[in-house]
Amino acid sequence: MNTPPAFSVPVCLRLLLAVLPLPGQDLLKHDHQLSSPLTSYLRLNEGLWLLDNNINPYIGGAFHHSPLLLSLFSTIVPPLPIIWAVSDGMGAWALLRIWRARQGLSSQNGTRSNVENLIVSVYLLNPYLLLPSLALSTSTFENTFTLLALMFASEGKVSSALLAIAFAVHLTPSSIFLLLPILMVLVSSPVSHLASPHPFHGSLRRIPFLFGEFTLYWLVLVGAACIITGGNWSWVRASWGASLTLPDLTPNPSLWWYFFTEMFDHFRPFFLMVFSVHLVIYILPICVKFQHDPLYATFLLVGVLGIFKAYLTLADPGLFLSMISIFPEVHGYLRHPIITTLLHLHAALLLPLQHVLWVSEGRGNANFYYAASLVMGMAGGAGLVDACWAGMRIAVGDAKVWAEEKVDGEKGKVVWWEVVQQ
Amino acid sequence: MRRTPVWIFLACLCTPSFALYPGEIYREDLRIQPLRDGRVSTTFSFVTVLEGAVPRNPMALGQVDESQHYALFPLTLGQILREHAITELHLTLNAGRWNYDNWGHPHEAGVGTGAELWAWMGASEITTVDERWSGLRNALSGLFCASLGSLDSRRTLSPTVAFPLSGSTPTFAPHELRHASLPSENVCTENLTPFLKLLPCKSHAGLASLLNPQKVFDADWHGMGIHVIWKEDTGVELKLTLQAVFNPVRTSTGKRRDWNLQLLFDRSIERSCPVASSSSITVILPEEKDYQIIPEYPAHVDGLAIYDLSSSSNFTIPSNIAMSWPSEHSFQYPLPPLTPVTPISVKRTIHGTTQTRGILSVSVTNNSPQEISAGYLEMVPALLTLWMHTLKVEINSQIRSDLLSGLKYHPPSPQSNDRLSPLDVASCPHNSTKDHARNFHRGQQSFSEIHRTSTRCDERLGSTRGRVFPAPSIVSRYPSEL
Repeated sequence: MNTPPAFSVPVCLRLLLAVLPLPGQDLLKHDHQLSSPLTSYLRLNEGLWLLDNNINPYIGGAFHHSPLLLSLFSTIVPPLPIIWAVSDGMGAWALLRIWRARQGLSSQNGTRSNVENLIVSVYLLNPYLLLPSLALSTSTFENTFTLLALMFASEGKVSSALLAIAFAVHLTPSSIFLLLPILMVLVSSPVSHLASPHPFHGSLRRIPFLFGEFTLYWLVLVGAACIITGGNWSWVRASWGASLTLPDLTPNPSLWWYFFTEMFDHFRPFFLMVFSVHLVIYILPICVKFQHDPLYATFLLVGVLGIFKAYLTLADPGLFLSMISIFPEVHGYLRHPIITTLLHLHAALLLPLQHVLWVSEGRGNANFYYAASLVMGMAGGAGLVDACWAGMRIAVGDAKVWAEEKVDGEKGKVVWWEVVQQ
Repeated sequence: MRRTPVWIFLACLCTPSFALYPGEIYREDLRIQPLRDGRVSTTFSFVTVLEGAVPRNPMALGQVDESQHYALFPLTLGQILREHAITELHLTLNAGRWNYDNWGHPHEAGVGTGAELWAWMGASEITTVDERWSGLRNALSGLFCASLGSLDSRRTLSPTVAFPLSGSTPTFAPHELRHASLPSENVCTENLTPFLKLLPCKSHAGLASLLNPQKVFDADWHGMGIHVIWKEDTGVELKLTLQAVFNPVRTSTGKRRDWNLQLLFDRSIERSCPVASSSSITVILPEEKDYQIIPEYPAHVDGLAIYDLSSSSNFTIPSNIAMSWPSEHSFQYPLPPLTPVTPISVKRTIHGTTQTRGILSVSVTNNSPQEISAGYLEMVPALLTLWMHTLKVEINSQIRSDLLSGLKYHPPSPQSNDRLSPLDVASCPHNSTKDHARNFHRGQQSFSEIHRTSTRCDERLGSTRGRVFPAPSIVSRYPSEL
């Protein structure tokens, strides 16, 4: 596989960053924007220590990672920063292959174009993705598995795609929302049809079989996790249940935690249900509306997750922003990209500032920080809405105006309007 | 109704008194010890023994209990003990920090700040131990006007190694321990009144008449304890203790450490308690001989001056016991460096600049010339997440992980939100200081948790006052000198 020359440069840079001892790395590990209680490196180490000392890591409420990560880092390889760098590299490579599949280029051919360099750089150098990766947050692995699933789905490799999405769902259960569009990509094609919408082309009858295969892979992973924890089911409640029951109210950029610090216990189950069901209602409309281009539907659902996930880190909106690079056809139709950029800049600067002011210095309070996360939510929402608009607007096409002057002296112009579909 | 036989006895004071009902013995004792930093430690202990009594079998909880007739033993407490089938009970309500380095070991262990309640109960199918524990807490909080009801399951643990059964173990059921503590509980006069009601003579006669709440709660350290133990050969023993550490240097006009009972308590003993089988005041004499004690003590046992106050003795009650240092003009506080009185000194500190993260550091100093092996038990509220993988043991900035063995860490269970982390210290080399440091992370509390801890004597909101940690305990493995 021929990679463009600039692919190796950012990857080497990323590997170098992992190996060199950076001065602020300890600060990054403790930062609440870059890692949440479900993805934090500190908690991963705590879980490994508890496992070493024959204490069940899942009963204390300190450890929420998956048992597969526990076994990986305790038996196969210790949690070194180089693993995160490799995972980043794999994510960038997967994004590149998705681009090539979408453009209809053969994945073997190396057309070393600037666009490909740009795509790789946008993934590796995006601060929303780079900083959580330097902070050794396991959200990097989640993003990598999502991109791998999309890559295999775009290239038509059924089993690999379903296995990758099963891993992603195992690591974070909210990735289940991406399952339907990925199945749709598998049965149709990833090539861009945004400009020419048509009813769903693929065979719908294959989807239940694919879903069955996914369920099989997922059950195998669940069984492996149970074997690792010795038949104990407490990991389910601690790792998946955490997204549903929100046990840990550490401040993070998501929109959930603030509600639940102020809420009486009586109302908790109802609001937890509302917040979780809210995510579900986005799946079907987006998949139906963008049935002609399921890859774009996946992209939009990644955006939804990047705003409304239970334990959000910056890596989740970061994935959305980096994926926008593989849809250059909609860039011209975005209505307010600059507003989205500025909102993201605003939120990215406000979030750490208000966090420090509140918890470290005691000069602010929770409202300041939540206001900053609301700005982040607005930034994500602006990007998502704009992407939805552009995806639909491109189907309407551009107007070409001809004006002709009548030659026979009459002072009039005849104007023809013609709509051209690209 | 119960007081009628007592009044009859008080009328004929000259008769030798003994307990009316054979099988109940009451004795009281006051220990006074001048400390090296000018303070005076006083320990009242009132012991009532029900001879031959046995704690209630929890298996028989469904049946009607035998009726309880006590003359000296307090009925209210007896009813609580029988209702919940408690074998052993310890409740302490303390305020202040016991300065082990200067004051040594207290006469009654259990000086952790705030309220600490622990009880051993037999298991039963009729009512579970946890139900009885909850009933016990509520009953005791009503009896002592202390908010012990908030020692709920979220703070309850079972550290059986550090809090073993002090008395004999009954054979009728396997016993379980429940322990909870509320370090932010304040002690005030509302707690003293029900405490005095448990005594046979109340505060009218005997040593309890010295207990002046104004003076006792002004002391530098004060605490009361209720201990119920069953000993197979003697019976059920109820021990009520009140310890207070006064500071005559502060309260006297001339900055002298001379003390007398009138100065300390502003009260005197008018008459002795007629139902007490023994009632005495013991003064632990200081080692330097330049003091004077009035009245001259009749009994001299080995560094102790014993004044017997019981009505059966021929000794008249001293109106005031005074100790003075006539050659001293004003008290000179001993200059540092001072060798601590106890073999082990412990300091616990929190390092850190933010409200969310920090380092909890425990520094154990071994003051004796030989190696000591001790256990350390710490119960941490669940609000704090301890990162146990950052635990470091150092001596003089040198990491020595071999000194820590038998580390047992209990993460919070869904029922109890507190963490139990007993650390077993293997050995501490002589004359050295060992530091354990652990990183911790303070979590975010939900609204309902902040307002659940309530105090009575203090009106401020708990959340603005910060968090209080329960006191850790050091359990020594080789208690030969400790």
